[in-house]
Order: sequence, then structure tokens, then C-alpha cells
Amino acid sequence: MNNNKKYFLYKHTPVILLFTSILNEIDFNLEFRYFSFNFAYILIFYYSLKREGSIGYVLIFIAGLFNDVINGLPMGISSLSYLLLCTAAAYLRNITLRPNLIKDWIYFLITILILNFITYTYLILFINYEIDYFVQTANIIGTFLLYIVFSFIFKFYDNFILGRSN
Amino acid sequence: MEPGRDDFVIAVRSAFLKKGNKQKFSLLSLILFSIIFLILNNFNFKIINFNRAVIKEIIYYSSFIINVPEQAVERSFIKVSDHFDHYDSYLIIKNELQKLKGKDLEKKIIEYENVELKKLIDDYFIEDGQAFAKVLIDKDSPFLRSIVINKGSKNEVKVGMTVYDDIYLVGKIVEVNFLTSRVLLISDINSKVPITIQPLNIQGIMSGLDKQSGQIQYIDQKDLSNFNKENLIVVTSGVGGIFKSGIPIGEINLVDNLLNEKLVVNFYQNFSQLKYVKILSHVKENLNIDLSNKKIFEANNDQIFQINNQAQDIKVLKQQKIINDEVQFKLQSENIRLKNNLVNVQKELNKSSKKNKENKERNKDLEFLELNLLYGHKCKKSFFRSQLYKIGTNKYRACVLNKGPIKKIR
Repeated sequence: MNNNKKYFLYKHTPVILLFTSILNEIDFNLEFRYFSFNFAYILIFYYSLKREGSIGYVLIFIAGLFNDVINGLPMGISSLSYLLLCTAAAYLRNITLRPNLIKDWIYFLITILILNFITYTYLILFINYEIDYFVQTANIIGTFLLYIVFSFIFKFYDNFILGRSN
Repeated sequence: MEPGRDDFVIAVRSAFLKKGNKQKFSLLSLILFSIIFLILNNFNFKIINFNRAVIKEIIYYSSFIINVPEQAVERSFIKVSDHFDHYDSYLIIKNELQKLKGKDLEKKIIEYENVELKKLIDDYFIEDGQAFAKVLIDKDSPFLRSIVINKGSKNEVKVGMTVYDDIYLVGKIVEVNFLTSRVLLISDINSKVPITIQPLNIQGIMSGLDKQSGQIQYIDQKDLSNFNKENLIVVTSGVGGIFKSGIPIGEINLVDNLLNEKLVVNFYQNFSQLKYVKILSHVKENLNIDLSNKKIFEANNDQIFQINNQAQDIKVLKQQKIINDEVQFKLQSENIRLKNNLVNVQKELNKSSKKNKENKERNKDLEFLELNLLYGHKCKKSFFRSQLYKIGTNKYRACVLNKGPIKKIR
């Protein structure tokens, strides 16, 4: 693989992963009854925090719209969540001098809690959705726990690509 | 404190407004755009709906195209695993087939009976429209369990139509676009299906619980505790007209549910393996009556009306007759009683008249005896008065009663 291809992969992997995960039927709710996680949250937060500009905000906005359409949610709610997640990541990046994975992890939990609160509030108050809180809690916990796993995987992947390209 | 607050403001401003080198829009503008989208969702403008439908069509089909490799992999995996399980499955299926053949005949007979009975109670639905559709997307979201199919308003799919997999209930159409539609699966928490638990005939509402099961609401487990068998069958009840009655959904395993507080229904079908579905709408059977039939129908109705009236009259007359009979019976019994009374009175009267007669005679005798004492000597025949009467003769008696012999007029 030449350097151009590697650079292309390095540059566009987050976007490809984001859109594939949203458009693809590979659902992250797995076969366990109550285990699920939100891969898009992990991906967007990680790359907004670690590699600014790797996923364009417009693309994140569009990805949110795609997610809403595919999951049958009101259009705009996922976009709002994703963009607020980007904002939170950008704020953390701005105030961080020495990055610490555990701090990022805790900050990520607080952020997704707030985002899910906003989402549920909108769905319950305006759309009259009935929400299974047990499933949603499991989803939040799953997303939170797997953030650290995916952080290592993304870091490893980036280093792998960069290492080869360098 | 002042520099800290400044840092915070700078960081927030930077996060919201900094576009970066390659960003065309700031986060704030995109967030506002999302909020506008959300607000527009609540309005039912034609242009917005059209744009929304177009966006959805594009996304559904792009998702379907992107899914192709994954589906190919999945299908290959299923094929391979099927090959491994082939012989065991074959034996099981062979046994089941033999059992099912027997049951099939029974089922057909019951079906015919069922149709006849439903026609009688005016609950027989016939299929109004039928379409088969391919499942484009069956992504499972924690918010909404639904699938997207490749039939839309172009194929006359309408919101509320029932979706089947074979004969089993899958869900109903909740959103229709031009070429695609969204089906809300019965496994979703928002789907409320009116159900009947057979053979106990208990009515309830079922909502989704997880991928393979639903939860029955408004039914207490105690209601089912008296049932002896292990499994109960759950079918649609047809209440509310959302689904037609009798569509199979799943089974309740009472043994499994003993320890649970929830009453869980295990679906017959695996909704994550749906590839093609059947969309149906149902209408009540319409009986076409032509004009001549209508006249006959009306004439019959008139006759029935008249007969009913006559029947009413007869009923009234019958009641009147019953009353008359009762009155007559009362009169007869009164009559008999009075007759008896009369006879008794007559007897009494006879008795008293006899007594009277006797008394009169006795009185006469007494009078005779009294007069005999006083005037007997005047009538008594003696040696010197031989013209008088002998004692005990009628003439003597007459003489006594006359207070002496009867003087002859010369």
C-alpha cells in the first residue's frame, strides 16, 4: 500500500466508519437481551477530541439525519445529539493541557448522560414515545464501558497506519 | 476567579464558533439547523413532507445498497451453518412433517367452521389488498424496533395495514413514502396489540419487550394459574379493528412465567431474520343485494313484521284467555259452594218445617188435653147421656175441642 492510500485511509476512516455504522445493518445491540451500545457516540467523541476536523461537522450533521431516518426517529434529534457531543469534545479539548484517558472517559459519561436526557425529554414530551428505561440505561452503560476499549482500538489503528506511512 | 471565567467563556466560544481549517459551518449554526429540523417535524406542510419523503427514500436505498455486502456475508454464514446442521434438522423436520400433515386436515375443517361462524356474527374479514415486500432495512434501534420495506404509496400501501410473515403477525405500517414504508414490529415497546389468550379466551394488550418476546399488560398471572397445560396460544383479538382477529402471535410458557412478574409471550417468528413480508388490508365481507333481491327482502321483512304483530295479538289473546279461564274457574267453584249451601239450607228448612208440624200437632194435643180436663165431662158418654160420644173417638175429640157438644139448630 503506498503512502497516498495510507493517508487516505487515515484521513477518511472515521467518516467511513461513521456512515457504515449508521447505514449498515450491523447493529450494536447484539444478541444479548439488554446489552447494546451507541457506536456513533464513541466514534464522534473520540475523533472530535483526538483528531479535530477528522469528521466534518456537516458530515456529522448528515450522519445524524441518516441515523434518524433509518431508526425512525424524528429528523434532527440525532444530529443535535452528535453536534452537542462534538461541542463537548471541542470544549474538553480546549481546556485540556495534559490529556488523560480516564478523565476523558468520565467526561464522556457525563456528556452522554446529558445528551440522552435531552433526547428522551424530546421524545417523551413532544413525540409521545414510550421508552424502555432499562434498555436505555443498558445502552448508556454499554457505550460508556466500551469507550475505553474503542479508544485503544482507534489509537492502535491510527498508530498502525501512521507508523507504516511514516 | 475572573481569568477562570474568561477561560471558560473562551473555551465555550471556541467550541461553538471555531470552524477550523476545513469546516464550512460552525457547530452553533449546525445545532441551530438541527433544532429547526426538529421544529419543522411537528408541522405538516406539504413541501416539508415531500422533502422528508425524498430524503428518506434516498437514505433507505443507500442503506440497502451499503447493506448488500453485509447481507451477503450473513447469508453465506447462515448457509454454512445450515449445512452443518442439515442432517439433524432433516430428522426433526421429517417427524414434524408427519405430525403436521395430520393436524393440517383438522385445521382445514376448523377453518371452514370458523369462517361460517364468523360470517354469522358479522366478523368475517376478507383480504382487500395484498402485496409482498422485501425488507430493505431491519436495523434494531434501542428506541424503535422497526423494519423498512420496499413498497410504498406507489403500491397502494397505506398506514395501518397489517404485515405478516407467512401467517404470523409481524407488525403494522406506520409510515409510508412513495417507494418505501416503515413497519412497526410487534416487538417494539410502542406497539400495542389487542390479544386473546387461547384456550382461556382472556383478553389483553401486548406490547414489545425485546427482540423475541412481548409482554402482556392488564392481565394478572393469577388468572392463568388454574390452567393445567404448559403453553397458551396468543392470537389477535380484533378488538378496536386494528388487526383482524385470530392472527397467531406467539405462545406463553406458564412454567417459565411462574417466577416472572411479567407475562412474557414468545413470538413464533424471528423478526431479525425477516427477508420478505406480506402486507394485507382487510375489509368486512360485503353482501351484494340486487334490486329484485331487495324487493323480496323488503316483502319478507313486511311479512315478518305482520307475523310479529299477529304473534303479539295472539299473545295478548292467550293471556286474556288465561285470565278468563281463571275467572270462570273461580265462578264455578263459587257456584258449587253456593249450591251446597242451598242444599244445606233446604235440608235445614225441611227439618225445621217438620219440627214445626210436630210442634203444631203437639200443641193441638196439649190444647185437647187442656180442654178435655175442662170440657171432657160434657162430651163423655154415660148412662144418663147416651147421645154423647165415647172417649177416644173423633167425635169426642171434636166435641172437646168445641168445648161441649155441638148444638143442633132447629
